[in-house]
Order: sequence, then C-alpha cells, then structure tokens
Amino acid sequence: MEIQIISFGKISEFIAHQKIEISDIRNTDELKAYLETSFPLLSNMKYKLSLNKDIVQENTAISNQDTVGIMPPFSGG
Amino acid sequence: MERKVKNIFIDGRIEPAFIAESISKHSVKTTIGGHSIFMGQVRKDEIEGKLVAAIEYTAYQELALEKMHQIREDIFQKYPLHCMHVYHSLGTIKAGEICLFVFTSSTRRKPAIDACAEIVERLKAELPIWGKEIFEDDTHQWKENS
Repeated sequence: MEIQIISFGKISEFIAHQKIEISDIRNTDELKAYLETSFPLLSNMKYKLSLNKDIVQENTAISNQDTVGIMPPFSGG
Repeated sequence: MERKVKNIFIDGRIEPAFIAESISKHSVKTTIGGHSIFMGQVRKDEIEGKLVAAIEYTAYQELALEKMHQIREDIFQKYPLHCMHVYHSLGTIKAGEICLFVFTSSTRRKPAIDACAEIVERLKAELPIWGKEIFEDDTHQWKENS
C-alpha cells in the first residue's frame, strides 16, 4: 500500500513530504520502527505521529492512502 | 449546541488595533461584567550570545483547528462564558510583536480569568504549532515550550 508522509517543525528539515510504498507495515508502531531505521536522526528525538486527522495515542492500524504526520514537540504560543 | 470549527490563524503579527477593535465590539453585550485577555509577545531571548530577532510559526492547521474546537467545547462546558476568542499568528513575527491573543468574557470576573489561563496552557500543550527562533545572524533553532 501507499501512504503519504508529512513532517513538521525541526523534523521537516530532514524528512520531506513524500509518498512511500510499504508492503509489510500494518500499524503505527511498525511504521515508527521503519521511520527510525530510514531516518536515524528521528530515533534520538521526541515526536508524535498523526494518522489522518487524529494524533496517535496508541498503536493504530494503517490503511492504503492514509496520511501520517511526524510531529516534534509543540511550541506554539 | 454545535459550534462550527473556527479559524484561529492570522498571517503575521496581531495588530494592537485589531485587539482594540475586538474589545470595542463587546460594548453592546451588556450582560458581560468582566473580560480577561492574554497576549503572547515574541521575546528577544539571548541564547549562547545570540539574540532572537523573530519567531517563524508554522502549524498543522487542520489538526490544530480540530483540537482547538475540542478545547473550545470543553471550556464552554466548564465555565459560564459569554465569549471566547483565540488568535494565533503564522509566519514571521518580530521580537516585540504580538503572536497570541486570547480573550474571554463572563458576567463576573472569575470564569473569564480562569478560562483564559486554562486556554493558554492547553493551546501551548496541545496544538500542533511550531516556532522557529530566528537569530539576528539568520541562523535558527526550534523553540521548545517550557
């Protein structure tokens, strides 16, 4: 399946928005492991994922054409 | 009551005149007895000898607006408010300029004051917004909320 990756803040400096083809990744925990291998800088950072319109709080199944956001700690205000 | 998702984002700084205008619009709402206002201003921090010239704000807007909608619903449930207005800047805001404006109104002062403080705390913790501190020499670092 194909998913869209979008990134924000500091993470947008080393992960560009991109579509990725994943075959054996079924959920957000597996995606995290994949992302941290593909982008080693990520493994030393605090970050959260969003899946479509929700912030991921617990391991969640991923479907074809989902959009996953990679978000460093927030710093608004 | 269903409230529609409001946009809180403003491109660039929040003008003092906009804030004044917002206050004056409430003069017709005569059951209001107290307003509380919080304004966030970009601070010229000194970090390792370099001064912050501006903060560039970006957001995951769809998600931030959805989250702000939930916060708004929670706050209206919790406090007897007449009005709540929240504005946050996007783009480059120079040191000394206003980047956040939260405005609450109630019949008596306490709900307005408490709600205003709670909104500021929650939006800093929960809204996907990021500030990039740009130094006077054009280098940058990403801000972290304390």
